Amino acid sequence: MTSVAPERLDERDAGADLAADRPWLVIVWNDPINLMSYVTWVLQKLFGYSRPKATKLMLQVHNEGRSVVASGPREKAELDCFRLHAHGLWATIARSD
Amino acid sequence: MPGFARRDDATIAARLEPEERVLLRRLAAEMRGLLLEGDETDAARARLFPRAHEDPDEERAYSELVGDELERGKLRALDRLEETLGAGDGVVTLSGEDADAWLTSLNDMRLALGTRLDVDEATMSAPLDEDDPDAHALAVLHWLGWIQESLLEVRPRLAG
Repeated sequence: MTSVAPERLDERDAGADLAADRPWLVIVWNDPINLMSYVTWVLQKLFGYSRPKATKLMLQVHNEGRSVVASGPREKAELDCFRLHAHGLWATIARSD
Repeated sequence: MPGFARRDDATIAARLEPEERVLLRRLAAEMRGLLLEGDETDAARARLFPRAHEDPDEERAYSELVGDELERGKLRALDRLEETLGAGDGVVTLSGEDADAWLTSLNDMRLALGTRLDVDEATMSAPLDEDDPDAHALAVLHWLGWIQESLLEVRPRLAG
């Protein structure tokens, strides 16, 4: 076991390694066809959200054009995106800023 | 059709008119054709298979990972809708899983139809204009949405 000088740690924290730790965001985009009730139900079913939380996210999609509905490591974000696509929602993923 | 209602045995049921079954079978067959033989440049197909990543390299890697699993899931849902649709007139009875397959397939049908019609939110909330050449297709789109709403009213209380 070894230790790293504090200034080296600072370098690492400010450096490229941090990019790998930034979570991926799962974004749902507004579309004119999906029913509001259906989108709410899908968010409840896939993410286990309460009805109020799912409704809030659905309204954000509807009113603002998009909403971040989940976030996490890349593999989880890609799986979430796939499951949203399987349910017909228009979803993409992106690394958080 | 009067919509889905919950029954005592944890299923939901609705009576469909023979012409409603015929229409759903036709739409299911069209969806199967779109999934199996659809042109990649078809806007309806593109809507059913959205990209996950903006970056082309990331998207290519994602597509390779996913393979045809999205298409297979949509086909499985269609199979189940057709199996549970039954024949002739009578009552359609669905378990919770059947209802989920119906919701998936009805939604895919609406996405394909709505994309072909290039609808926007104003079109979707406007009353039907019978002189509109798209009036029949729009009526089908709204009818599918009505069945979806009817399923959603009873589905959340079912297990499985």
